[in-house]
Amino acid sequence: MFIQVLLEVIAVVALMLVVATGAVVGRRRIRRTVAEYRLRLRAVAPVFVILATVSMFNGVARQVVPDISWMIGWNLTWEIYDLEGEFILWLQSFATPPVTAYFSFVYIYGYVFVLVFPVVAYFALPDTRPLRELLSAYTLNYVLGLGCYVLVIAYGPRNIMPELVEALMYDTYPRFQHLTRQVNRNTNVFPSLHTSLSVTVAVLAYRTRDAYPRWFPIALVLAVSVALSTMYLGIHWAIDVVAGVGLAFISVTLSTRLVGRWSLADVRSHASKTRRIVTRGD
Amino acid sequence: MDSHPGDTEGRIDRRTVLAGLAAGGMTATSGCVRQVRSVVNRDGAEQLSLTITTVPSDADRESIRIARILRDNLEAVGIDVTLDMLAIEEFYRETLVNHNFDCYVGPYHGDMDPEILYELLYSSFADEPGWQNPFGVTSLTFDDRLEKLHESPDEGRPEHVAAVLDVLADEHPFVPLCVPEELRVVRQDRFDGWNDYHLATRLGYLDVEPLAVDGSDPPDELRGVVTDPRLTVNLNPLCVEYRNRGTYVDLLYDSLGTADSDSDRNEDESWSGDIYPWLAESWEWEDGDDGAGSDTGDTTDVTVTLRPETSFHDGEALTADDVAFTYRFIEDTSLGEGPVAAPSPRYRGKAAAVESVEVLDDRTLVLSVETGRKAAKRAFTVPVLPKHIWSDRTDEADVFGFARRPGATDAVVLDNVPPIGSGPYRFADSSERERLHLERFDDHFSLAVDGLPEPTVERFTTRVAPRSASAIELVEDNDADVTVSPLESYAVEMVSETESVRLHRSPSQTFYHVGFNLRRAPFTNPYFRQVFARLLDKAHLVEEVFEGYARPVATPLADDETWVPEDRRWGGNGGGDPSAPFIGSDGTVDVTRAREAFEEAGYRYDDRGSLLVVR
Repeated sequence: MFIQVLLEVIAVVALMLVVATGAVVGRRRIRRTVAEYRLRLRAVAPVFVILATVSMFNGVARQVVPDISWMIGWNLTWEIYDLEGEFILWLQSFATPPVTAYFSFVYIYGYVFVLVFPVVAYFALPDTRPLRELLSAYTLNYVLGLGCYVLVIAYGPRNIMPELVEALMYDTYPRFQHLTRQVNRNTNVFPSLHTSLSVTVAVLAYRTRDAYPRWFPIALVLAVSVALSTMYLGIHWAIDVVAGVGLAFISVTLSTRLVGRWSLADVRSHASKTRRIVTRGD
Repeated sequence: MDSHPGDTEGRIDRRTVLAGLAAGGMTATSGCVRQVRSVVNRDGAEQLSLTITTVPSDADRESIRIARILRDNLEAVGIDVTLDMLAIEEFYRETLVNHNFDCYVGPYHGDMDPEILYELLYSSFADEPGWQNPFGVTSLTFDDRLEKLHESPDEGRPEHVAAVLDVLADEHPFVPLCVPEELRVVRQDRFDGWNDYHLATRLGYLDVEPLAVDGSDPPDELRGVVTDPRLTVNLNPLCVEYRNRGTYVDLLYDSLGTADSDSDRNEDESWSGDIYPWLAESWEWEDGDDGAGSDTGDTTDVTVTLRPETSFHDGEALTADDVAFTYRFIEDTSLGEGPVAAPSPRYRGKAAAVESVEVLDDRTLVLSVETGRKAAKRAFTVPVLPKHIWSDRTDEADVFGFARRPGATDAVVLDNVPPIGSGPYRFADSSERERLHLERFDDHFSLAVDGLPEPTVERFTTRVAPRSASAIELVEDNDADVTVSPLESYAVEMVSETESVRLHRSPSQTFYHVGFNLRRAPFTNPYFRQVFARLLDKAHLVEEVFEGYARPVATPLADDETWVPEDRRWGGNGGGDPSAPFIGSDGTVDVTRAREAFEEAGYRYDDRGSLLVVR
């Protein structure tokens, strides 16, 4: 069931990517990318390796995070609920089947698309800096997010008000549960990584609007929709979303500062220097 | 205090006046300070704050909803409420082990024998972890009546049950709410025989008959789906935090006897729950077969003969020694070696019927029991643990030698994966939060003895679905044969019954309740508990939260008809709950009447309507 749902998501997102690449990136850029891809790959390889390592570590860490949280974390569910429980209810009062269908689509497919497309689009730019910034911002989101998950235990609205919110996605489309439960543990709601990653993409889309004028409005709409969907579907509290936006800005700012500080050329020269020293020692 | 104004009387001059004034001033000052002290060191009456502990909806959808309704009702009568949502393991640890709660909402999964009253309420269990007296009840009246019930021969029990229920109706150490229906979805095109036994017990998954579909081979794999991932990480029979009904533990471990269910009963007929020999080939009561039982206070000897040539999954022989060890171990998992006794959090109440065990030979042992037969047989359902494994688990629980926990041993904190039992299925493989695979134990006695329910398939695989909706979908898509976890009530409507997919009903052995911590104010006060118990509209809860798939109850004994006198049953004495009638109607609390009830119980309200207490 999990594999089946996963394949379905991959197929739909792949289709979206093809269409968007055609419309946003354009043929000329694709042609040039085909010619230069080795060079660009080499430029982004280090940060890509870091992201891959972090996400692998993240996968393992998430198994133990709940155990650690229950020993040292703060359980803030009730505080959050007491503070803003009404807001989610208010948001849900607008529920209609088409809106639910839209937000369910955005939460699953739109989210994956909004994360993957900029990787493709920025790879198609001769300047690799946006891509490196994007990948480091993703990495920072995961690392900082994981830190919050260790410190804060919080169940989302659907876990405290099942009768009001759950009917929306998981019961309309029960198969999605197989997917999201694999990806998320139910105590990890603060902050919303869905929001922080989508907003990260939107912020970077704003910065690269000269290169991709069409992408910024799409990214903005999707990011706002993803943020709303997490609340509308009862998965996150408004506070999680606000924290997610904050995390996005922190991640983007940090990644801008970090990227370029150590360029690949530096690393290589450093490596060769080390090699020289090591070989000389022989 | 040295100066008294009276001392200066008769000698009136300026100095005296001044001195007098000064003294008076000092007196005034000291009086003032005394008054300040009296105020400062006095605790004012402030609003009562309570915490309701429960689990999130992912673990139990009904509990959190009841907790929220309860919270609304309590706030309406001026009590400040905090909801504490804990992961399910954490919930059981805080309530049943640490006793760190005000009140909680949750289910009790037991059996239907009135002996559960002894387990839940007997004073000397108050300081032990687990389902034995989690409320901290300490009452001479209760104990007196519970002892009589515990030691009563079978035929005298109804009278003693009624006597206990009388006290229970006044004391309200917990509020029984309702008995949910136990519904599951089964595929009957791959297996037949779902109706023979209760699907929460081991027998439910034995003797299911694989069906050959369209000339193909009959299936050799039974595919279950659960909505509770805990069994994929922990299979320790003694771990109260990880067990509900213990269905899988019962498949992995054998017990002397097993609860049977009448195969030909009607749906509304109650489940007999009688216990028949399982690992034991037979048992003989010292006083013969007439069932007269002993008089109160005496012990009876039962001679138990084990089946021949039984062994554990690791090949070690299972002998009477293991059985004797098990009963001793449950009473104290440190086996007397630790600084303090560490009773097992599970099976303790059941095993309490056994006074002593004497091993005669490898296959024979004599149990001395202090109870009637029915209660004694419950002790036969305790899983038999292999001595060669569990006798190494008697050390005090600690973390690398630090953070020692007196009163807990390795035995109650280990995951026990892989489990080594002697049951009809043995552990094959598991993946955390995803699946648990069992395989048939080919040396199991049930395969050799005619007439016993036996494992009919080679493999019993179980996967974890996030919720009932997806579990149902798995069965409907032919990816699973049975939802081993009962359906949550909201999902029942989603089942579309076909020729091959059917809704299966088992008699429920679960009741939802609000448990009070009698160790903590204000729950120390029975009058407070009495009014509290009347703030939940059980009939309304059943409709709202359980969508009608439950019935409201007035006592914890699900088997009303057999044990509960008519005037104590739900609907007795003019309708509703005879001992705790709801103050209000249709789920809405009558705030004025509820406040009056609290005021009658001695509580005060301030002008903003907050219920006040002095802490």
